[in-house]
Amino acid sequence: MRRFRFAARALEIALAASVIVTGTTPAVAETPKAGGTLNIMLREDLSQGFAIHETATISTVWPAGPCFSNLVLFDPAKKVESADTIIGELAEKWSWQDNYKNLVFFLKKGVKWHDGQPFTSKDVKFTFDMVRGAPDAPGKLRLNPRKDWYANVEAVEAPDPHTVVFRMKRAQPSLLMMLASGYSPVYAAHVPPASYRTGCIGTGPFKVKEWRKGEFVDYVKNPDYFVRGRPYLDGLRYVVIVERGTRTAAMQAGQLDAAMPGETSKGTMEQLKKAVPQMVFNTVAASVSDNIIMNVKKPPFDNPKVRLAVSYAIDRRGLIQAAHQGGAVLGAAMLPRPYGVWGMAEKDLLALPGYGKPADMKVRARKLLAEAGITADKPLKVEMATRAIAVYVDMASFVINELKQVGIEATLKQVETAQWHPMATRGEYQIGANLTGLGTEDPDANFYENYACGSPRNYSLYCSEEVMKLFDRQSQELDPKKRQEMVIAIQKKLEDDAARPILDQRLDYFAHWPHVKGLTPHNNIYNFARMQDVWRDK
Amino acid sequence: MKTYIAQRLGIGAVTLFGMSVVIFLLLRLAPGNIVDILFSTGGYVNPSERAAIEQELGLDKPIWAQYVDWLGQLAVGNLGKSYRYDLPAWEIIKPLIPVTLELATLSLVISVVLGVPTGVLSAIRQDTRLDYVLRVFSLAGLSMPSFWLGMVIILGLVAWFGWIPPVTYVRPGENLGLHAIQFLLPSLAVGYRSSALIMRMTRSSLLEVMREDYVRTAWAKGQTGGVVIWRHALKNAILPVVTVIGIEFAFLIGGLVVTETVFNLPGLARFLVQAILWRDYPIVQNLVMLIAIVVILSNLFVDMLYGVLDPRVRYGN
Repeated sequence: MRRFRFAARALEIALAASVIVTGTTPAVAETPKAGGTLNIMLREDLSQGFAIHETATISTVWPAGPCFSNLVLFDPAKKVESADTIIGELAEKWSWQDNYKNLVFFLKKGVKWHDGQPFTSKDVKFTFDMVRGAPDAPGKLRLNPRKDWYANVEAVEAPDPHTVVFRMKRAQPSLLMMLASGYSPVYAAHVPPASYRTGCIGTGPFKVKEWRKGEFVDYVKNPDYFVRGRPYLDGLRYVVIVERGTRTAAMQAGQLDAAMPGETSKGTMEQLKKAVPQMVFNTVAASVSDNIIMNVKKPPFDNPKVRLAVSYAIDRRGLIQAAHQGGAVLGAAMLPRPYGVWGMAEKDLLALPGYGKPADMKVRARKLLAEAGITADKPLKVEMATRAIAVYVDMASFVINELKQVGIEATLKQVETAQWHPMATRGEYQIGANLTGLGTEDPDANFYENYACGSPRNYSLYCSEEVMKLFDRQSQELDPKKRQEMVIAIQKKLEDDAARPILDQRLDYFAHWPHVKGLTPHNNIYNFARMQDVWRDK
Repeated sequence: MKTYIAQRLGIGAVTLFGMSVVIFLLLRLAPGNIVDILFSTGGYVNPSERAAIEQELGLDKPIWAQYVDWLGQLAVGNLGKSYRYDLPAWEIIKPLIPVTLELATLSLVISVVLGVPTGVLSAIRQDTRLDYVLRVFSLAGLSMPSFWLGMVIILGLVAWFGWIPPVTYVRPGENLGLHAIQFLLPSLAVGYRSSALIMRMTRSSLLEVMREDYVRTAWAKGQTGGVVIWRHALKNAILPVVTVIGIEFAFLIGGLVVTETVFNLPGLARFLVQAILWRDYPIVQNLVMLIAIVVILSNLFVDMLYGVLDPRVRYGN
């Protein structure tokens, strides 16, 4: 008894001392509370239902995420994503073999689909044979935006119900990063892939209760979820609110508990903060870049000097202030630190075209244009295309003004969404102001999708065999430090070639009410939609 | 009367047929189709996948064949399938109808309740202070777009009270009180604008009628103001107002898109715009036809109402 009293007294003294030293009471870990429903923002209705594999938009991933599970995912509690933050979800553990040419997953046992059917390796094989477009795949996707992610996968084998092997043509450590993306859920082999456009049979923490078109998606807790004690919440409701002002008002009035990734700009954050000082804002990178696409197959942008001049002419910092009120950061193709792990250091960024002093950059731009025969007396007239959406138009307007100062007279052409991708894919444009989102912050996902020869999303039609070899070399590099150096060199090369000049990396100020706990936004809007650890404090 | 109604319905059918051709062609003249939108959500285009989807949706058929298919389906009451949602179009459209009908009806009731009495007051108190105030009030209503007014209401409520009406549609059966609150504000915003038009029409029509000899005779006979205005003058002045009300109702059915968007009500108009942006042909075609039917029927109803309000009007002779 005496010993107990002594220990208790010692603890009191220690606590008091910590208060004196820190001036605060020591933090006590909060115990999650079970129950309640969360109302979450959605800016538009699901575009193709819950068919994540058939879309490339946050408007599907965000509301469909709770239904599914991946083999692996990025730790929900960690903001910065990297290979080190990947944890198992359907996979109990995994093992690289044969010098990173084979990836073996050992799956969790006892996992059930929402309809009660057992989850096995057959489902994984079904999903990824379908996504990689295997000739003998029993399932077929109507649209397959990420087929190229799996171009290196030679076969997916399911030797037993709880083991899956991805066999690759060459080493590719990045495959794990792509499998961890919110864009890589596992579909059920026993339901047609098309059924995901109208409903969802997944293994995720929540089951779809109702999808009222244009209104909301309701989820209920999955009582058979394979993670014991999860989810904490009884349900989720994703509320569709198309009008931006109404969305913000709904957040402010407390009718929504959490925002949608990518939808809280700096201006919105300031407005909400003023009205609701207790609201929580998390500054994260959206993994969406503003960039310029130039058709390298047609004049005048088949001339690298003209392309480089465009890159030099645009004041990135000015754009960040003018179009984003400071809500973006400088960065090249990959996210800069501290948001990502592959980005260039600031000193290297400053050496890139367009990142120096604006006046000096414009002088260099004019010089390059003069070498290409373009001067103030003989200005270059071009048409700048962009999507007819405010976020695109704001950026394009700024860029047009910048280009005017160096002798390029661009007129704005707003293209309706239905026409944008066909136009861009067919190269029916000269220069365009574009946004690009990355499903996972990995060089392979970015480089092969946006810069590789023949990639359908390489809108600039840029193609360099030399650069392709660099892509392949970094993709196979097993030493992280060497790979990092290669990736930085590639980013520099891409900017020097003005393949797709990056103007900035957008930030999101993800908002939620303080009673929402356990929701950690990531520096990638696509990868924290699962909701299994989220709980309500009231 | 029956002959007249039959004739009007016949003309309505011809009108609908013409509408069907116009809407069908206009939709296909707009650049892009659902397949382009689907690919835009995927961020890429693949020609072979595109061709497969067009075949799946029947978009590879000649336009005339698509039109005949659509009419054939309509003839048997089949509205087709939504391209976007892959569900029967009627299943998508059905729940939207009560929302827009209710909003339009409530807005109209408010506009009549507000517009007719203020128009009467303004007419009988012509050129007085009250008249000027009411005319300025109505001019403000005509000048303010209802969507702007709606947005101001939402922002004002949230700024001053930290509250807005529910952003998720509350069905009457779920909670009548909340449902009523949810519809009151948008109805007021739309009704105010419509009431301005009705007020001005009532005022000018009544002013004209009050100068008629029979009204002067009624005054001379010593009738009270209420009897002269409400029993004699207004009955004759109301006919043009009824026309305006009918037109307003028809306009509201398809014109509530921004109000429904601002107040987040899942109505026909808002959904129609989304369907147009998505080039969801079955939804757009059927919704537009539905709106056309409402317009035709409401015009017929207004014409029938003339016969009730004015015994001199007889149809079918």
